[in-house]
Amino acid sequence: MTGLLNWLRVFVRGAVLSYIALFRWFRPAQYTASKIVMPLNQILFFTLLGSYALGTNSAPFFAIGNSLQIAAVSGIYGVTMSVGGERWEGTLVYLFGTPASRMSIFLGRAFVHILDGMLGVILGLAWSGLLLGVDFSHTSLLALALTILITAASTSGLGLLMGAVSLAALETFFVNNTVYFLLLVFSGANVPLQNFPGWVQAFSYMLPLTRGIQAARQIVAGAGLSEVAPLLIGEAAVGAIYIGLGYLLFRTFETIAKRRGRLESF
Amino acid sequence: MNAVEIENLRRVYRATIGTFRRSIKEVVAVDNISLAVQPGELFGLLGPNGAGKTTTVKMLTTLLIPTGGTARILGYDIVRQADQVRPIIGFIFGGERGLYWRLSGRDNLQYFADLYRVEPRVAKKRIPHLLELVGLKGRDDEKVEGYSRGMRQRLHIARALLHDPQVLFLDEPTLGLDPVGARELRSMIRDLSTQGKTILLTTHYMFEADALCERIAVINHGRIIALDTPAGLKRYAQDLSVVEVEVFGIEDNALEQIRALPAVEAVSVENQDQRQVVLVQSSHGSAVMQPLMEILAGMRVGKVVVREPTLEDAYVRLVGGEKGIAQVD
Repeated sequence: MTGLLNWLRVFVRGAVLSYIALFRWFRPAQYTASKIVMPLNQILFFTLLGSYALGTNSAPFFAIGNSLQIAAVSGIYGVTMSVGGERWEGTLVYLFGTPASRMSIFLGRAFVHILDGMLGVILGLAWSGLLLGVDFSHTSLLALALTILITAASTSGLGLLMGAVSLAALETFFVNNTVYFLLLVFSGANVPLQNFPGWVQAFSYMLPLTRGIQAARQIVAGAGLSEVAPLLIGEAAVGAIYIGLGYLLFRTFETIAKRRGRLESF
Repeated sequence: MNAVEIENLRRVYRATIGTFRRSIKEVVAVDNISLAVQPGELFGLLGPNGAGKTTTVKMLTTLLIPTGGTARILGYDIVRQADQVRPIIGFIFGGERGLYWRLSGRDNLQYFADLYRVEPRVAKKRIPHLLELVGLKGRDDEKVEGYSRGMRQRLHIARALLHDPQVLFLDEPTLGLDPVGARELRSMIRDLSTQGKTILLTTHYMFEADALCERIAVINHGRIIALDTPAGLKRYAQDLSVVEVEVFGIEDNALEQIRALPAVEAVSVENQDQRQVVLVQSSHGSAVMQPLMEILAGMRVGKVVVREPTLEDAYVRLVGGEKGIAQVD
């Protein structure tokens, strides 16, 4: 019981403090620019471009897709900074010198970013309704909220994996940018998946966001939770796989870094 | 049982050389060292930069896996029983990094208390106590980014003591501190030792090791070349006399000529602003004085002092000076 309580303390306090300490955009100006203005511009850009090319009926497709894709700003950039930032702060060596559960440290790094990502998606959807005329009158808000939660969590799962990669690769933004733009193109946020060849579609379904975006579009169009349940279960499973792979890589990194003497190297 | 027991500990790093035609070079950082530290002892590991001090501490704190040999902390093997070692040791490395700068001093300690599994009711009492101990009371709610280097180093000490470890590893703790901050930190280390903590301190400041440590191991090129009490180490230089010459703008070729003098054992230079203090160790007393002054003729020379050897002279002689490493049994 004491062990579990300590696990939770490391998880919760680590979640909050690592967000404040390591998320470099957690300052008013950076946060506004990166988490509000940039995503809003992205939604407007792709929706207006899509509407111009395909007609105004296509606006919800782009607005909802890009609103959900905003989860990747927190899930990828935020989580990667919170994991990889340990190296820049020089705290990695002290962190790995403690007896704390590595799982609670690792998962805690994503927790606040999931909530932050949800907030971003909600803001994006609100802008979509207010500025782009997306109709939410047939939407089950509960189903949509659950979709946003699962999608933000699964995207953060990929972020955890990328965070572990950035520890090993000694590079954060190259990893972040590559993954963010891969999601932008292949998650179906802006290009219908059926336009891709089969093998690219298979790749898309290996990514987080893909099923979440599909589910959100269906929910806004009036589908109920039971109809999108298979998509949400798939999205959660993809996220869980990335979290598992990320944790495995995180532990492997610790072992290899201790063997090679590279815990502190840049 | 010894607090720290090291047997033939060895660490080899592999470095990649070149960009296109890559080759791998092996660097022996720690070369089969063995030593034992008694419980409650304040033990010094003294050596120049790159001697292998930090590598040794990293291995003892479970942060680096040795290439060979074994080490035990209070009987626990540092590799096979790393999970048992971590809760009973505390460690700090010199420098300012390793704290969350955007968090307050108190939040840093609170988080590390969780990581070290300190019960909340214990942490609640211990954190204010430690903040007071390291002189940060009243500044504890400020962000670490606003702390001075000395304050950060003291916060590191508090962090290392959060879980009341039995063995402390302090790797160059006074590195970069101003004289007052360094003196305060040394006083704190002395207090911790009197409380019964086993402390392994690494430093390249001879006077620091002399002032604090009960025994000192001198390490150079990864090997322990002497291990004794400070008084015992001073005997390594008792046959020497030392000439200290204050010179303004001495050139390398003059130093080479001094080094080449037959009676000279070692030469070292301390840069002090515009001037240099040249320390010449000689086994022939003041016989070196005349040829020395002939070499320095034409240069602006200040104070010249012939003095008895100190611990620092013993250290300079041990780590090689300029005429090779002294062989010590």
